[in-house]
Amino acid sequence: MIARRVRYEIVSRAIGPTLMAMERWRRRGRGAGGAEAPFGPPLESTRKLKELTTLHYLAGRFADGAVPVAWVTSGFPVEMLRPLGFHTVYPENHGAICSVKRMVPELSEAVEREGYSRDLCGYARADLGSVATGKTPVGRLPRPDLLCCCTNICQTVLYWYRALAVHFRVPLVVIDTPFVYGEAQPHLLAYVAYQLRELTETAERVAGSKVDRDALGETMRLAREGTRLWAECLRAGCARPSPWTGFDSFFHLAPIVAMRGTRECNAYYRMLRDELNDRVARGVGGVADERVRLLWDNLPIWFNLRDLSTVLARNGFNIVCATYTNAWAEAGSMIDPADPEGSAARAYVHVLLNRDLPYKLSIMKRLCREYGATGAIFHSDRSCKPYSIGQIDLMGRLASEEGVKGLLLEADHADPRSWSEAQAYNRLHAFMEMFG
Amino acid sequence: MPEYTIMRDATISARKKLGHKTVVVLPVHYPRELFTAMDVHTVELWGPPGPPHGPDAGRIQAYTCAVVRNALAFLASGGADAADAVLFPHTCDSIQGLATLAPDFGGWGKPALRFLHPKGGDGPAARAFVRAELSLLADRLAELTGRPLALPRLAEAIGLHARIDRLRGDLLSRRALLGMGDRDLYRLLRRGEFLVPEDHLAELAVAARGLGEERVQRGVPLMVTGYVPEPMTLLDSLASSGAFVAADDYAAVGRRVPLSFPADGGDPLDTLAAKAFSMPPCPTRGGDQDVRMEHMETLYRRSGSAGLIVHVQKFCEPELFDVPAIRRRFARIGAPLLYLEGELEASLSGQVVTRLEAFVEMVDARRNAP
Ligand code: SF4
Ligand code: SF4
Repeated sequence: MIARRVRYEIVSRAIGPTLMAMERWRRRGRGAGGAEAPFGPPLESTRKLKELTTLHYLAGRFADGAVPVAWVTSGFPVEMLRPLGFHTVYPENHGAICSVKRMVPELSEAVEREGYSRDLCGYARADLGSVATGKTPVGRLPRPDLLCCCTNICQTVLYWYRALAVHFRVPLVVIDTPFVYGEAQPHLLAYVAYQLRELTETAERVAGSKVDRDALGETMRLAREGTRLWAECLRAGCARPSPWTGFDSFFHLAPIVAMRGTRECNAYYRMLRDELNDRVARGVGGVADERVRLLWDNLPIWFNLRDLSTVLARNGFNIVCATYTNAWAEAGSMIDPADPEGSAARAYVHVLLNRDLPYKLSIMKRLCREYGATGAIFHSDRSCKPYSIGQIDLMGRLASEEGVKGLLLEADHADPRSWSEAQAYNRLHAFMEMFG
Repeated sequence: MPEYTIMRDATISARKKLGHKTVVVLPVHYPRELFTAMDVHTVELWGPPGPPHGPDAGRIQAYTCAVVRNALAFLASGGADAADAVLFPHTCDSIQGLATLAPDFGGWGKPALRFLHPKGGDGPAARAFVRAELSLLADRLAELTGRPLALPRLAEAIGLHARIDRLRGDLLSRRALLGMGDRDLYRLLRRGEFLVPEDHLAELAVAARGLGEERVQRGVPLMVTGYVPEPMTLLDSLASSGAFVAADDYAAVGRRVPLSFPADGGDPLDTLAAKAFSMPPCPTRGGDQDVRMEHMETLYRRSGSAGLIVHVQKFCEPELFDVPAIRRRFARIGAPLLYLEGELEASLSGQVVTRLEAFVEMVDARRNAP
């Protein structure tokens, strides 16, 4: 245990950072590269983002047996785990990486043979496939000591983590956040807060240590600040031209999801915000010739991000705002370091995916107005039902009430097998023609 | 009009004449006792099966289950207009989505009730939450009927439904001793989805008198698990292949019979809250997957089943996620398994019928092998 801990610390504090520094040195003077038409110059911060992600997964390879490891869903109140020194793994984030690397079909097929349906969430299939085969683009994922699932993004994670619990034979903590119609009722908040207190007990047992309440308060403060910083990054997109593309923002979302409540996360977003604001001041756009500004709804199509953004950018279209990235800039502001459980309950039940359609529509309208979006792409995500149900009506209402033109683009966030490229691009071109 | 709709319409009209309100209920789990106590008639809506009634199904993507798409089409086309409200239990992401889509964006203009049930395990917080949800639902029903909940009435309703549940449990667990065919048995059990409880109880009691001491079902005993026995012709195909349902783990049927019954007395709302935690494992409620597998294996062995049919709805995440675990568990005990995926079709396709027949034949041959 001690030897493993030492190895983990050496990798995460010395070897990893040294490798990153060497890489920086190797690339010194090269900058982030020049603009590649039809895009503006790439963001310098992207390099730092890659370093952060690489370091996180590198440390992860040595985490099990060294520090407690938790696998957590993206909407889980991870702040509660930080003071206990958990190394956290986000299977959804890992699923996105698998998708970008086009590994999902192979991983999914492995579990389809066990009886998992191809209709299930692509992240879940990628993760279960990775668990079953040991294949991953990040080298190795540490074995969990604790599984943490919060139903505020969907019920799917509950079914998925139940299966993981059977596989790994480790405790599963479910934070059940019943759906909010209108505003959350007091008994609902009390229920979630109670579960958060129970979570602390379980996590303490697994970690073999006690939560330091001051450290918890500080983590909560950092999480709230991180949310604010992320919101500031997004707000830079209100400028014309937007200093980045929505597709960039999907990638830069990773720290607020996976490193929320840490100093590294906040330092990163300060850097990104400053760079974005500097680009705004200099009139540098994410798309070289931004003509039409769009809203994106639902998860990204990870495996096709580059192609899709290129087609849009070539025609002067830029995704300037997204309900997905915005979701991480909203609820975190409710966190109060003085009341970790109570405020986390409030913050985590009020996330976008846990709220009714009128709320979603109000957010879309606000985003379109604030960011000057005149069109919207609704990614109808085959394997993410909670995000997709209601999109057809939302699109109609956004058009009739705000004059925002919409396109329903059927795809999948992770699995390219259900993506029909020719059909999708035909529809996309027809959509773009509507803007003249 | 299909039998499904005719029967439901007829009971709604009869209740209306008596001045009682009717609430249409989406699947799966809900506190029916509360409605009975407040003289509110409930009619469940499992689809309905068959093609959607009207264009509104197109407002939900085709990769969503037929239960939800058909329900939206049915509500929006006025199929449930005779009812006074709809209840959306917190079953899954799809019903959760429907519970805001239809009332908020069109399709259902009358009151929309919701019942959120916990997805984790039992415990003080979960019980307190269910209790609070029950109180809230009672308040909403009081608004609908103009009468508050009377706790003694609730205690009576709990007793009435316990009698119903016991009889349903008996008929299912002693299936082999009952002369009735599957189609008749399931028609009877599913009449509970829309009949007035007293009437359902009376029918069940008559049927239960047919339970003998001797095994009368001689066909190939099979266990079924899945969502809802639709199309009901599945049961006909089983019967004509020489099989019968010896154990039931359908969400709509067997999984709604409690495993234990609370003692009389105490606060009826607490008793009703406790019932939520005495039900058989159901993935729509979350809970430990191993516990569910254990339960299914017990059901299988106790019933003397010789094979398992897994009959799920396409795109149904709660059910589909458990399929590999079911496959593993039943492979381990050497149980033959047939997997069927449906979309609330009006009848079984010829291909499925052939698969069913072949399966029954194979199970029978295995059973009779020396
Ligand atoms: S992609 Fe959708 S279904 Fe999958 S985990 Fe995320 S919210 Fe849930
Ligand atoms: S069939 Fe499955 S997905 Fe559809 S409503 Fe029922 S539980 Fe939900």
